[in-house]
Amino acid sequence: MKYKNIIKKTIITLIIVSFTGLGCGKDFLEIDSEGRINKQEVQTNPNAAEALVTGVYNSLYFGSFDPTTVGMLYMIATDIASDDGDKGSFDADFGPAREIDNFTHTPGNFVFNNLWQGYYKGISRANSALEALEGATFDAAVKNRLIGEVRFIRGMYYFNLVRLFGGVPKIIVVPKATEVNNAEFQTRATREEIYEVIKSDLQFGIDNLPQKGEAGSVVGRSTKGAAQGLLAKVHLYQKNWQMAFDLSNAIITSGKYTLHPDYTTLWRETGNNNSESIFEVQTGLTGDCNAVSPLYSNSQGPRAGGKRGWDDLGFGLNNPTANLVSAYEPGDKRRDATIIFVQPTLPGGPNPGTMLYGNFRLPTQDSVENQRYNYKAYHPAITTCGGNKDLKPKNIRILRYAEVLLINAEAAAMLNNAQGAARLNLVRARAGLAPSATATQADVWKERRVELAMEQDRFLDLVRQGRAGTVLRAHGKAFVDGKHEVYPIPQAQIDLSGGLLKQNNGY
Amino acid sequence: MKKREFSTAFKIQISTLRLLRVKFTLALMLLTCLQVLAYQNIPITGRVTSSTGEPLAGVSVTLKGTQLGTTTDAAGNFSITVPNQNAVLVFSYVGFGTQEVTVGTTTNIAVNLSNAASTNLNEVVVVGYGTQRRRDLTGSVASVKGTELAKQPVLTATQALQGKVAGVQITTSGAPNAAPVVRVRGTGTILGGANPLYVVDGVITEDIRNINTADIVTMDILKDASSTAIYGMRAANGVLLITTKKGRTGKPVFSYDGTAGIREATNLVDMAGPAQYIGYFNEATKYYGNPDDTLSATLLNGTQTDWFDEVLRRAFQQNHNVSVSGGGKLLNYFVSAGYISEQGIIINNDFSRFTVRNNNEYRLTDKLRLGTQLSYSHADLDNVNEGNALSSAYRASPYVPAFLNGKYGNTSAIGNVSNPLVGLNYSTDKGINNRFQGTFTGDYKLLTWLNLRTSFGLDNVNYENTVMGLPFSNTGTNNIFIEAGGNEQRLNTSFEENAFKSTKWVWDNTATFTKILDRHNFNFLLGATAEKYHQRNTRAKSLDYKEGNTSFQEFKGDEIAFNINNPIPNDKWSRNSYLSRLNYTFDDRYLFTGTFRADGTSRFPDGNRWGYFPSIGLGWNIAKEAFMEGNTFFDDLKLRGSWGKVGNDQIAQGLYTTFANTGLPYFFDGRQVYGISLDDVVDEDLQWEITEEFDAGVDVGLMNNRLNLVFDYYKKTTDDVLLRVPLPAFTGDADYITNLGSIENKGIELTAGWNDRIGKVNYNFSANMARNKNKVLELNAGQAVFGGGVGQRGTTTKTDVGQPIGSFFVYQTAGIFQSDAEAAGSPQGASGARAGDLIYVDQNKDGSINANDRVYAGSYQPKMIYGFNGGVTVQGFDFSFTTYGTQGSKIYNGKKAARGDVRDNIEADVARNRWTPDRPNTNVPRANLGILDHSTYFIESGDFFRINNLTLGYTLPKTVFGNLGLNRARVYLTAQNPVTWTKYSGFTPELSSSNTIDAGIEQGAYPSVRTFAFGLNINF
Repeated sequence: MKYKNIIKKTIITLIIVSFTGLGCGKDFLEIDSEGRINKQEVQTNPNAAEALVTGVYNSLYFGSFDPTTVGMLYMIATDIASDDGDKGSFDADFGPAREIDNFTHTPGNFVFNNLWQGYYKGISRANSALEALEGATFDAAVKNRLIGEVRFIRGMYYFNLVRLFGGVPKIIVVPKATEVNNAEFQTRATREEIYEVIKSDLQFGIDNLPQKGEAGSVVGRSTKGAAQGLLAKVHLYQKNWQMAFDLSNAIITSGKYTLHPDYTTLWRETGNNNSESIFEVQTGLTGDCNAVSPLYSNSQGPRAGGKRGWDDLGFGLNNPTANLVSAYEPGDKRRDATIIFVQPTLPGGPNPGTMLYGNFRLPTQDSVENQRYNYKAYHPAITTCGGNKDLKPKNIRILRYAEVLLINAEAAAMLNNAQGAARLNLVRARAGLAPSATATQADVWKERRVELAMEQDRFLDLVRQGRAGTVLRAHGKAFVDGKHEVYPIPQAQIDLSGGLLKQNNGY
Repeated sequence: MKKREFSTAFKIQISTLRLLRVKFTLALMLLTCLQVLAYQNIPITGRVTSSTGEPLAGVSVTLKGTQLGTTTDAAGNFSITVPNQNAVLVFSYVGFGTQEVTVGTTTNIAVNLSNAASTNLNEVVVVGYGTQRRRDLTGSVASVKGTELAKQPVLTATQALQGKVAGVQITTSGAPNAAPVVRVRGTGTILGGANPLYVVDGVITEDIRNINTADIVTMDILKDASSTAIYGMRAANGVLLITTKKGRTGKPVFSYDGTAGIREATNLVDMAGPAQYIGYFNEATKYYGNPDDTLSATLLNGTQTDWFDEVLRRAFQQNHNVSVSGGGKLLNYFVSAGYISEQGIIINNDFSRFTVRNNNEYRLTDKLRLGTQLSYSHADLDNVNEGNALSSAYRASPYVPAFLNGKYGNTSAIGNVSNPLVGLNYSTDKGINNRFQGTFTGDYKLLTWLNLRTSFGLDNVNYENTVMGLPFSNTGTNNIFIEAGGNEQRLNTSFEENAFKSTKWVWDNTATFTKILDRHNFNFLLGATAEKYHQRNTRAKSLDYKEGNTSFQEFKGDEIAFNINNPIPNDKWSRNSYLSRLNYTFDDRYLFTGTFRADGTSRFPDGNRWGYFPSIGLGWNIAKEAFMEGNTFFDDLKLRGSWGKVGNDQIAQGLYTTFANTGLPYFFDGRQVYGISLDDVVDEDLQWEITEEFDAGVDVGLMNNRLNLVFDYYKKTTDDVLLRVPLPAFTGDADYITNLGSIENKGIELTAGWNDRIGKVNYNFSANMARNKNKVLELNAGQAVFGGGVGQRGTTTKTDVGQPIGSFFVYQTAGIFQSDAEAAGSPQGASGARAGDLIYVDQNKDGSINANDRVYAGSYQPKMIYGFNGGVTVQGFDFSFTTYGTQGSKIYNGKKAARGDVRDNIEADVARNRWTPDRPNTNVPRANLGILDHSTYFIESGDFFRINNLTLGYTLPKTVFGNLGLNRARVYLTAQNPVTWTKYSGFTPELSSSNTIDAGIEQGAYPSVRTFAFGLNINF
């Protein structure tokens, strides 16, 4: 009896245990990634490494009101801050841009935080791509070309950061989540340390990237010429005149680039990737309408002010100033190619308005908010993407041959090299102007302003030239020397660093 | 606290396991103590009726202490053979009380089962993986009967639950097919899901919108940790258990229940008319230095558009349910079909749902029972972009005609919003949702004291929808507008097809040991469950699509652009758990419940996957004590106390892994290529939130149990709160999700019910109220979380230590500047304030108004929620009412604050009462074109009290339909949400937000809807 009971108990226990002890094994809780690629897979797959490089280029589209690299907010920090562009639109519109226009900006201004975020988002994409490329098994030439492309973009972003903010955190590796509070990453490197990163990145590009048109080069990808050109500009900022001269001269003597004959179409769609283009953002219309820098064009489009019956063409930001208009010499073709002039409304008419390219008639002044708009940012209406004006595919020109010629001319002037005049006059000739009698640094500066007007260069160029205070105060801005040469470190980032990130002088 | 003390959790596990082993051995030893009963075999017949005299079919009648039993037939009759006169029959039915009757000398027994009070202490309550008598509960469990829920003409059962259960806050929306937001005992999470867990017939689910309310027998709400801990890692927000109807032994019973009625908006906001609008606008522009009238008085040409009249309608609703149930020796069955059609009160918005259900129980042998519970639902949806339509109607200019002579008024041509009618009429969004949910169960009684049960549940959802934008133009021959121009047009058809398919299975195996040993009553549950979910999503989309096609099948190759991508990631997760519970009662006086569950989930990284959730509940039935004998005051008196730990893993799968973002385009040489990026920073050590809850309660029955009282005090502390923590930009990511914080909810709940009969009048009343206090104890190393962004003025809420989650954090207003001089001399002088502007309090007295001057101004979380419910039956008439109220919450009037554009319309109240030099005594600022800063000016009381439902019914006397073969026929009129009392000026004080830090901000809310319906019930 007792024995039977024990057997019975054992059997029941076994039944219960096998029934309720139903295990699934460790793998049951292991979920595959459903076709998504995780970080480990990326780092072992050469195709993924190459796709990461494309992802770095994609950061050139960062724009709208979001974290930005070379889009609308960068335009505010460079053109609107300068004497070339006024904030525009109606007075009450876009307070943060008005503050930058007037130099009343504070560390809380979202434009700074979004530029900071945009660049570091791009830089961290670059760092991830570099980490993956280092480990990837590739044909060495292809691998070095891809690394060169990524380092070109990283160098460009650091160049913008150092010019906008001064010394910034130097991030050239991928920090782990547990390391984010390390002082190494949270504190600012010196301006010089950042310039060293930029120079080393661009030098790698020069050494490993193909020349435009040579084997391995593709339209839209960075080239040896692009790296040389940007490095020449970096040396210009550092007043290394010989380096700036040599690098720009190398581009000129390479024979790969010529000035686009017609300045009028330089910034239009027909001028995309023209013969003087050295590096430009490649946009296009995809099914998702996400291959553009959103709002770059529309934010600078003419504002019809909600006046009855007229299509609202844009936000009306970045109006070319009267001061810029008067900077053009008589007969300069660049004036009308750069500026859209709104015609006054004549009582009783006729009021034909202004015909813009793409057959668009801009109404006269009574129906338009501002007097002038940036023609270089203009793009005709699109019919795709639901006609969404925010998504106009404008190829933003980052670096073009005319600027290389002017860098060369300025460096030559500082080195007392007579070659500079010829380079300067190439640019003037294309604009329909007579050769300049002299080619001094001042002559080049004057030419730079009108040649590169409304192309997001002026404010940074004035600071480089050391006369931002003089020029901008004369223009009525509250520019304070020793403070406004750089923008404030975004307050949000200082807060996130727990105070490790130190503010710029005066803010 | 970043890391949990694993060692503690582990010790608890070990010790609990040891305890369980002891109990288990004890239970096994009881086997040897079986006694054989001597039979005398007395046949007994009888009838079971409800307290209102209706026969009850399907009531379980069992011989106490044995498994012998039967169920009543359709007329409530039963017959059973008992061994002797001392035999005790136990009558029970889920949702009704249990009654014990000693046979004695009688052979015919009439039993009256109480069904009125949900707090009845003899009621059978569904707890996880089993049932218990309410008197044996040690935790806090509320029950609501299906008949109470089905009374209300609403789509989902949770909507009808509103106001019925203390401590359960339900926020409903008038939108068809909207899922109500349910919060049990406050909000204990910031980022994890705050919704409770639903369990339908034992199967865990997240969405019960497929369940026909008419099919529900009872809904049980587990509130404290001792009750919920059996569901472990998913129980932190409470558990709602739904039991659907079963067949009852007897001949088939057919029933029909139908309603038809109308729905309409309860309350609309009065907007400014054309003259007020133009007057306000022109006055405002003068403040900006414009000397002339910007809008000419000639615009007042008699057009007066009430945009809400244009987009809203009185809608129709109907609901029909038929069912048949019955059973025999082998099989009990319940088959039902339901159809509900509900028009939205916004034009073009329709919803209909068809459901069928079949619940069968097969008694194959004395030991083996099989069960199937199968349901299928099919829903057709005509969705509209309701948020956009309502916010455009709020903003549109009143002098522009809506639609005239076949053309639309062109609101955008004057710089105003899009015409809301165009948005509604030039796009379609149609959906079809098919859902199959089924459970297959097998019960095997291995021994009289040991029952084995296996249950396999399946849930298959298939949702397809097509979204189309039709082309229209604002110029030329295709111009649909009265006047050309503006920015509202769509040049090409856009088309999108989406498919979401999900499959989930759950397999539960449990063993239940039941043993009564003298006065010791043991019930021990041991089980294992596994669950797997897989969702696949596909999207095909073309923004520029050839007009006229209705699906991608019709593509002919000449489309402008075509693109297929999959922006919505698939979802997949799995869980594996082991569970156990011991219920022990001694002499019905001392109650003990202990549970222990081990949960494994794929949602956390390897190493953090398993969690251990213990709980203990104790109860003392004081009324059963010897010293209470002879007391006539207390019929029931029970003290309860419980403690337990539960978890919350409601976050997305895979958050601990960095996945590549894909589909990042770039153009090389004019050709598009796609890139990827690794932007996301993740916490590789992520884990679930853990809530520790303490509950103390008392249950009281007085005056022959006519008065029932339930009181509970609880305190819940959630640790390791999942939080989205901002990251410095250099990481490349804006934020990441990690465990960093602690939240407390504490409060009291009180329910009182009165249930009596005066002559032929049966009546009952109940009242419930709950107070909850929510507080953040720790957060993100002291860094607050901001949320609730409105318009261009940033966030409105701040979640920080010492405050409730989602507290409004804005400027405090202190009246209005009466002169320019006063404004200029104030801290706001620097920013150009003038007479008529709101005065903001300079809290830190630093002479300027900035972010540091914001103050806490309440939150949407109510301090108290309450409800009064009752019913009366007299002769054939029945009347019932349910009400619901909240007190102590605040609402941010976001739609008023957002003011997207200067041309937006304003509320009539703002136009009428605005400050002018001639109207200085007002709290409404001057005419303004700008966007005001976030301030207490936009904060209003969210208090409301509402009659949720009034129903008046009449059951026709049998003489009327005697020869029609009907058993029962009842007609009724019902009004859902007929009246709401609130001070809130917006469309509704009930604002559904699934995001806890954005709750209580009204932006384009769906207005409250009331329904008036006529209904008919027939049984035959």
